[in-house]
Amino acid sequence: MRASRRQFLKTCSLMSIAGAASPFALNLAAISSASAQTVSGYKAMVCLFFYGGNDHTNTFIPYDPTSYGEYSASRASIAIPRDAALAANATGAVASQGGREFAFHPALTAFKSHWDAGRLAVVANVGPLVVPTTRTQYQQRSVPLPPKLYSHNDQQSVWQAYQPVGEGAKVGWGGKIGDLLASQNGNAIFTCISAGGNSVFLSGETVLQYQVGSSGPVSISSISGTMYGSQGSAASSAYRSLITGTSPNLFENELRAVTGRSISANQQLSGALPAASSLSPAIPANNSLASQLNVVARIIAARTALGSSRQVFLVSIGGFDNHDVLLTQHAQQLARVNAAVDAFYSWLVQLNVQNDVTLFTASDFGRTLTSNGDGSDHGWGSHHFVLGGAVQGGNVYGTFPPTTFFANGNPVDVGQGNLVPQLAVDQYAATFARWLGVSDAEMPLVLPNIVNFSPRYESFLP
Amino acid sequence: MMEVRTMRNSLRVLCAALAAAAFGGFLGGCSGGDTAQTQADPGPQGSGVNLAAVPPSAYPLPDENEAVRFLNQASFGANDAEIAKTRQYGYSAILEDQFFMPSPRTHEGYVNAVGASTLGDEHVMHTFWREAATGQDQLKRRVAFALSQIFVISLQDANLQNYRRGVASYLDMLTRNAFGNYRELLQDVTLHPMMGLYLSHLRNRKEDPATNRVPDQNYAREVMQLFSIGLYQLNPDGTLVLDGSGQPIETYGPNDIVGLSRVFTGFSWAGCSSTSTSCFNGSGTQSPNREVLPMQPFPQFHSTSEKSFLGTTIPASTASDPLGDLNRALDVIASHPNVGPFLGRQLIQRLVTSNPSPAYVGRVAQAFNTGRYQSGAYTVGSGQRGDLKATVAAILLDVEARTAPTGNPGKTREPVLTLAQWMRAFSARSASGNFLIGTTDNPANSLGQSPMRSPTVFNFYRPGYVPPNTAIAAASLVAPELQIVNEVSVVGYSNFMRSIVQSGVGSNSPRDVQPGYAAEIALAHDANLLVDRVSLLLTAGSMTAGTRNLIVTAVNSVPYPGSNEATARLNRARMAVFFTLSSPDYLVQK
Repeated sequence: MRASRRQFLKTCSLMSIAGAASPFALNLAAISSASAQTVSGYKAMVCLFFYGGNDHTNTFIPYDPTSYGEYSASRASIAIPRDAALAANATGAVASQGGREFAFHPALTAFKSHWDAGRLAVVANVGPLVVPTTRTQYQQRSVPLPPKLYSHNDQQSVWQAYQPVGEGAKVGWGGKIGDLLASQNGNAIFTCISAGGNSVFLSGETVLQYQVGSSGPVSISSISGTMYGSQGSAASSAYRSLITGTSPNLFENELRAVTGRSISANQQLSGALPAASSLSPAIPANNSLASQLNVVARIIAARTALGSSRQVFLVSIGGFDNHDVLLTQHAQQLARVNAAVDAFYSWLVQLNVQNDVTLFTASDFGRTLTSNGDGSDHGWGSHHFVLGGAVQGGNVYGTFPPTTFFANGNPVDVGQGNLVPQLAVDQYAATFARWLGVSDAEMPLVLPNIVNFSPRYESFLP
Repeated sequence: MMEVRTMRNSLRVLCAALAAAAFGGFLGGCSGGDTAQTQADPGPQGSGVNLAAVPPSAYPLPDENEAVRFLNQASFGANDAEIAKTRQYGYSAILEDQFFMPSPRTHEGYVNAVGASTLGDEHVMHTFWREAATGQDQLKRRVAFALSQIFVISLQDANLQNYRRGVASYLDMLTRNAFGNYRELLQDVTLHPMMGLYLSHLRNRKEDPATNRVPDQNYAREVMQLFSIGLYQLNPDGTLVLDGSGQPIETYGPNDIVGLSRVFTGFSWAGCSSTSTSCFNGSGTQSPNREVLPMQPFPQFHSTSEKSFLGTTIPASTASDPLGDLNRALDVIASHPNVGPFLGRQLIQRLVTSNPSPAYVGRVAQAFNTGRYQSGAYTVGSGQRGDLKATVAAILLDVEARTAPTGNPGKTREPVLTLAQWMRAFSARSASGNFLIGTTDNPANSLGQSPMRSPTVFNFYRPGYVPPNTAIAAASLVAPELQIVNEVSVVGYSNFMRSIVQSGVGSNSPRDVQPGYAAEIALAHDANLLVDRVSLLLTAGSMTAGTRNLIVTAVNSVPYPGSNEATARLNRARMAVFFTLSSPDYLVQK
């Protein structure tokens, strides 16, 4: 952590910014306006966060007979059967992984279609690291490690924050990207938008996370008109003053600030957003994630009216902490993900922005390869997905490790089949940041530890 | 310990005295709580404590504003009757009264009366709201609600969806332990089948090397991280212990989790043969009461290998001893020096303030550790470590609780508490007697929070939450409740409050729960008097002049007497209440 702070200061000085006396945020704004690449057109990235720690082993499954044999022997009671449903979702031989074959979870039928169409990529064994780390280095604690591995709230934060600190991180890498690119937008408030709840991911040094409801913007009814038999506009105008403005009390002040932001953003959004019904297909039923993605699509549809050219979104779905009843509950959640993501891609196509929007997945952590009887426990590295017209899909990036234990030949098993990541979140993130327009020189401002990794970028996005 | 005079007599005297005062009709609480009760409901009984004989605390008798401040920390909301009682007898008497107040009604009892075929999450909400609004054991239930946000289980979890009775009994268990001892609370939490389902140690089996199966680690991890000691070593005042290079020191590592996970094996549904595999698996003939009975040990499924954690080793054994191992482990956890400051700080945050000083946390931790607390001539506690009466008294009688905060902003009110306070302050009545208020999860049109429905075991918000990019962050303050305040929730809250102030809350038409406003209506001809009264009840008189002026303006925008004086009075009362509930002055408890 100290090393990265030094690195950051070094980067600042390289860019001739006098750092000592100026607030950090001002520095960053100065850097941003001074050196941010001029971007053109519209681009957005969408982080789909699986809260609870996705069981990656059952999400993208080793399929060729040898690999499947290792998999089923390793996790016994919670292995997915190698049946017709799995066969239908099989990838065929993947050259980048030595010809191994894989299969998407049986519920992920649309993921398989998008893979076949070349717009869905799999990124294997990615996770939080401070520096490249081997199993031995982890066991000897001879390199710095992310704090509180295996803890939900901390690892959510580690994944989302701009450098690996546990819970309490105040800045995320989505927000840092927003800091650098917000100047490209007419309305800074619509730079980092969460339809999936409060998260550190979208908080920058200067950019604020804007939270929107999954049914779209909502308005405070009492800031206009009359109420309780009042006459004229005295009551509603007093009400607006009551709930907005500033207070010396810091908590009151924050409530007022959020309320003011809400009113202002709502006014802009409510006139600009198309109706949910304008997008086809209809929102899949009983699927909160799909509703979130629908409002994201509607905000993207309004990009010209809102003056947006670069946007970062977050959507989320919980229910992935499958210590118990893994086979049933994981399948239910993945089915929701499958339906929601597939509908989202259709909406993007309808809006003709499928090449300008990239969706990627993230989660607290992967899970153990071992079974506890009917579930799995907290792990570390995990496999993730990237979808969009700009994605070099139909391929597995990184190195898919043997689905077995150290004793049986898995060099990155740190116990119970938990994976020490071979790709850092920083490298995963840098690939999106570069695509959105963050320059190589600026990348350490978004991801301080990226200087520890080479190459910085994976090739699933240009 | 106290001379017992019948509480009913003193209450009757008090009620008569109050009823003789200006406003009749709003003192419903004195008649014995809610008038409409479900079948076989014994109703309030009083504590039997002789309030006049309770030794005084270090504080003089409170004025009305001080009484409201106290009651908004120590109950689900102040009302006229409780204000008068607090002013007459003082803080220590109210605490003693509450410590010995019986809890004749249970959540499980309510749920049992509903009948399994129609049972839904809303019935757990109903009984919660009924007790919050009308229960005489206010402090116990307020502390239980705080505990439900530390020892979290949630009806949102798919594994608990068909166990509303079990969840009701879990909340009863927290209520029963709220003035007990932490060690027993931890045991009851650990063995409650709803916790067993939620954190998956119910049906957890010992390791099996042949199939690579290992014990489920979920409960072992969270019991340390969330229910007892936390991630880092703490000083007695709750500040972090730092190592030589200024870094915090972790309380446990992955090996402690592995060791402790073996302890929590071999427990499952009770009321069935402890040697039967099908009983362990929850199949076959199961007890109809299994969701409310503590889990029972199944020795053959319990690990007998060595269990090392937190510096303790339970050696490998040839005999399986699930309960013996569990008791040993919980003893080790409960005696860890972190527990007092870890738990104490969070209870302070739930009841009093978001940013207690280290000294305040230290005083509460000391009460927890010694099991005793003294303020003035008033002493409370058994003298046993983990005494929660002493802990609660230390939280509420601390100088930082009893005086308005200086140098820190206080505490943002939880949405659930705002609805409860509104019901209590304005004598809300349930037509059915059952407070038919369903879930209030939706932030866009409701409260964004329902009791017993946290999204995860990490509660609705984290004790260390800091809103990014704010002056709060710059001031190094935490603001837990602001984690669920956002551009959507502020709209939902405003519109929800406007609606309930006008039309009541709950199902049916008219809505089941209706406010009284009698005292406010009586003052509605004079906007200043009206606003002062509402300010007293909701903000303990802390409303700023600017806010007050805005509300007076709004009240005066309703013509009086207008074409119908009674309607004008009612509308003015509603206006004052809605504006006050919306004001930042109210939303941040000082």
